[in-house]
Amino acid sequence: MNPLLVQFLSEARDTLYDIGQKLMQLEQTPDNADLMNELFRPVHTLKGNSGLFDFPEMTRVLHAGEDLMVAVRDGRVVYSREIADCLLDAMDFVGQLCDEIEQGITEVSHIDDAVRLADALRKLIAVNAARTDRVESLDNIGVPEQPKPTNFIKSKNLFSLAPVPETIRMDAFRRILKGDPLHRLVYSPVEDCFFQGDDPLHQAQQTPDVLWCAIVARESWPNLVDLDAYRCVLVFNLLTAAPSEELVELYRYVPDQVVIQPVDPLHLVIPTGDPNGGPVYEDFVAEALLHLDGGNLASLGRAARTMLELSNPDLWLSSALRWLLLLLENMPSNRAVLRTLIESLRTLTPPDWSLTDHDAAEPATEGLSENVTDSLNSLSEEDAFERDVILDAQRQILMLQDQPAWHSGRLKAVATTLINCCAAMGEIQTAAEIEAALKTGLETGSGGLLLDWLNARIGMPTLRANLSEIVQSPQGQQQTGNVISAFTDEGPKFGRRAEDQIGPRSLKVDQVKIDLLMNLIGEMVVSKNALPYLAQRAENQFGAREVAREIKAQYTVINRIVEEMQGAIMQVRMMPVSFVFQRFPRLVRDISRKLGKEVNLVLEGEETEADKNIIESLADPLIHIVRNSLDHGLETPEIRQSCGKSAAGTLIIRAKQEADRVLIEIIDDGKGIDPEVIKRKAYEKGIIDETTLEQISDRDSVNLVFGAGFSTAETVSDLSGRGVGMDVVRTGVERVNGAIQLESEVGKGTHIRISLPLSMAVTKVMIIESDGQIFGVPMDHVVETVRIRRRAIHTIKQSKTTVLRGRIVALKALNVLLEIPAEPRVNDDELAVLVVRVGSEPVGLIVDDFHETVDVIQKPLEGVLSGLSVYSGSALMGDGSVLMVLNMKEMV
Amino acid sequence: MPIDYKKNQVLFREIVGVEEAEGLLEFLHKRPAAKIDFGGCTHLHPANLQVLMAAKIRIAVWPKDANMCFWLKSALQPEK
Amino acid sequence: MKRILIVDDAATVRMYHRKILVDAGYAVEEAVNGIEALEKAIQTTFDLFVVDVNMPLLNGYGFLCELRKQDVPQSPAIMVSTEAADSDRTLAYQAGANDYLIKPVKPKQLLTHVRLLLGEVRE
Repeated sequence: MNPLLVQFLSEARDTLYDIGQKLMQLEQTPDNADLMNELFRPVHTLKGNSGLFDFPEMTRVLHAGEDLMVAVRDGRVVYSREIADCLLDAMDFVGQLCDEIEQGITEVSHIDDAVRLADALRKLIAVNAARTDRVESLDNIGVPEQPKPTNFIKSKNLFSLAPVPETIRMDAFRRILKGDPLHRLVYSPVEDCFFQGDDPLHQAQQTPDVLWCAIVARESWPNLVDLDAYRCVLVFNLLTAAPSEELVELYRYVPDQVVIQPVDPLHLVIPTGDPNGGPVYEDFVAEALLHLDGGNLASLGRAARTMLELSNPDLWLSSALRWLLLLLENMPSNRAVLRTLIESLRTLTPPDWSLTDHDAAEPATEGLSENVTDSLNSLSEEDAFERDVILDAQRQILMLQDQPAWHSGRLKAVATTLINCCAAMGEIQTAAEIEAALKTGLETGSGGLLLDWLNARIGMPTLRANLSEIVQSPQGQQQTGNVISAFTDEGPKFGRRAEDQIGPRSLKVDQVKIDLLMNLIGEMVVSKNALPYLAQRAENQFGAREVAREIKAQYTVINRIVEEMQGAIMQVRMMPVSFVFQRFPRLVRDISRKLGKEVNLVLEGEETEADKNIIESLADPLIHIVRNSLDHGLETPEIRQSCGKSAAGTLIIRAKQEADRVLIEIIDDGKGIDPEVIKRKAYEKGIIDETTLEQISDRDSVNLVFGAGFSTAETVSDLSGRGVGMDVVRTGVERVNGAIQLESEVGKGTHIRISLPLSMAVTKVMIIESDGQIFGVPMDHVVETVRIRRRAIHTIKQSKTTVLRGRIVALKALNVLLEIPAEPRVNDDELAVLVVRVGSEPVGLIVDDFHETVDVIQKPLEGVLSGLSVYSGSALMGDGSVLMVLNMKEMV
Repeated sequence: MPIDYKKNQVLFREIVGVEEAEGLLEFLHKRPAAKIDFGGCTHLHPANLQVLMAAKIRIAVWPKDANMCFWLKSALQPEK
Repeated sequence: MKRILIVDDAATVRMYHRKILVDAGYAVEEAVNGIEALEKAIQTTFDLFVVDVNMPLLNGYGFLCELRKQDVPQSPAIMVSTEAADSDRTLAYQAGANDYLIKPVKPKQLLTHVRLLLGEVRE
């Protein structure tokens, strides 16, 4: 897949998520104009970006979505849940398309869906607009519509006026002084406008009072073979003397494609022509300045006219003189302006009017003085702009892949530049940080750390911002070509890669590669375990005690490295739980609306991290629990209020790390679970027998919902009760060595705790021996190992028990549990007891002996063996033997 | 036919619609040296204009219609 | 007073830049090619370099590469060029420039960049 597409897909996902979030926020505060704007932007960006590729279905839906949002933003349509639903549907559709594109599915056509969705979106504009119109006419309070200020840009020039012929510029200059409004207008029709039946040329031709026009392409033309005639890349740069209201009215259907900017008359004063063919006109300049300073404008005019007659009219000089005469005629009192123009003859460079000290002179017209103050006020903003340009240059330098002999000098210069730039903006304290990054950079010969600092400092690379601006401003649009050529221009000469431009801070790695790394390190862990055996053999079989010692020493080193390596790979695999959590706002919203319930969802600890597999395995159980809570736990607003609760229920999903485990809690304040109901039902379904029914505690009975085949739903709803119950949840959690617990209080709510290991790839097991065989017991369950004298074992009601630290611990013989017909081995009148904990109560397992603990990679049992629930899996040992790992939950 | 393809000349007549762009592109690809006669052209859909701009063609005759001429020159005859 | 070295073979350009910078209160020295510039840069410390691309003997790229190899304080450098293409810009960055301005440079833009690159806070 081409890098641009990869980038697009990954950005599209982020953007879609962002849009979903904002849509839901907007539901809470439908009048929030800022939020609406924030929402409009990503949709707009996404639409624009999708147009870079051939995804007509996606573009169509996004386009309709954007139109709807524009309508909402402009107040033509009132935001409603209906709109949110429709937009969310549309975004889901786009997400689905992205998935298919990523998987390379192209043959499926979704054009019907696209048309349906787009129609639905557009219908909302029409329906709502009609509605709003009616309201307005009824109330008869029409607020005059303000021209949208976003269309007006004052600070930056949209396009240079230099290519405009001098006669036209002079005419324009006179018209401004006469009081005509003069505007630059840039019209950048969207790329798919031809398909919408638009004729941008016709549109542009309707513009009144056009003095000058240049139709240009916003990207360089490809070879004719590659040209797509139907993708509009035209940009219309117009100079018009029409008033802005008229322009806004004319372009009202495409407000986002048009930018209008008033023209400062001085910006028209650009001498052009052949700079050659003359000396530096120092004498004339000196004489002219003398006249100017002496206030002798008539002499100045005479001198200029004489000089003009002597010179070839095509010269730059002549052009400047013509302007000088025009200025003399129209704003003779503005000395600073005249001086600047005269001085420009020395360098033959067009005067920079923004530098001219306009204040020294009396402004010739009111319009002029207004524009002058504008350019003065925008100075600091421009500073920031130039600073960003410089910072961006440093980033590009740091991203260079070459390693020339002057690399360290270049790094130093970059560091100095960064320090100075920050100092210039009044941020001196950053110097130390930069210097530290430079120091490391010089030692390692890489600019990575400086780059990190820079990226963190200036936020995400500006390219992302640029991309979203492209479609916003036509000036940006002209840059599109550059951005894209930066993508495609992957010349090895500059070692630039598309990915680098986007997020050089992090590296995107295919999951498969990480998984491979994980498997390899797993094998390494196992292989290194062979070394102690080897040492043992060397000593016992060959009597090479010295070699054995060395092997052990080497083993320690390798062990340490492997552990660190494993830790590092684990870190790479870590993912925040937000990966799973992020879908809940939407899920909760959809379900609660379907059920007519009101729910406040609170997410906590989204940044908590765990292994990718763990996080992924968490998704389904968690969704199931949340659905259950919404379906069966939380009540409808009416019921809640009649119970004296707030109408809206609260659902808290919280994640936190506790030692080497992740704890997930799902807490609702719903009606809770009635243990009596559960008990009876469990009995009816044969999950518990009569004795248990009588004895079981309330606490234990609510946990019966996790039993296989238990479903409390009285009717099977389409949400949670699809015949599968909470046992699916339990199985899912236990598959990754997790534990789940439920507490509930009738009328108050339910609290579910899921505890998961941080990582599942490697399990530490203790090896135990029984009847000559060895077994593994996961260390997660091992509390302690003790040796107990036989007389310390008591028999209470036919079960063996002993007292450990003041508590009665039930004892079970492993041989009995595994149906091995052998008595436990007794050493010195003592029995070896492995105390394990499953659930809340510790249990003692009587075994023959304990051995060392080892790290193993558990493999699930396959084939006929998979039916043996007493084993959770098998593992390969360093000496090649197979270790059966006991499933404590099933046994005890 | 709004466009008349001659050996080395393309004649535009009256209103040249969007659907002509494909054919025009094909023709100019084969005959890059062809000259354009806008004499009888009163409107040109910008899809065609894009093709002409990309092909960097030479214009033999500009439109009689002054307005049309102004707009076409703004695209096809950049300021010196 | 901050010291700036203007490196350009064209006298008019040197004059133009000198005037802008001197008027703004900087101490300015000039060099007409890369070799002269390198000699000056090794003898004295400059706070900033304003470097042209095409020069006889040693061009701007060559000067910057050599400068960045020297054991001298590595001050920022602006490369001033008539070429606006991205590839030219990247070449300048590769050689060791920290900033890239297109000729003719507007006085205001030059001063803003100079001020930023010298770390001067605007009064």
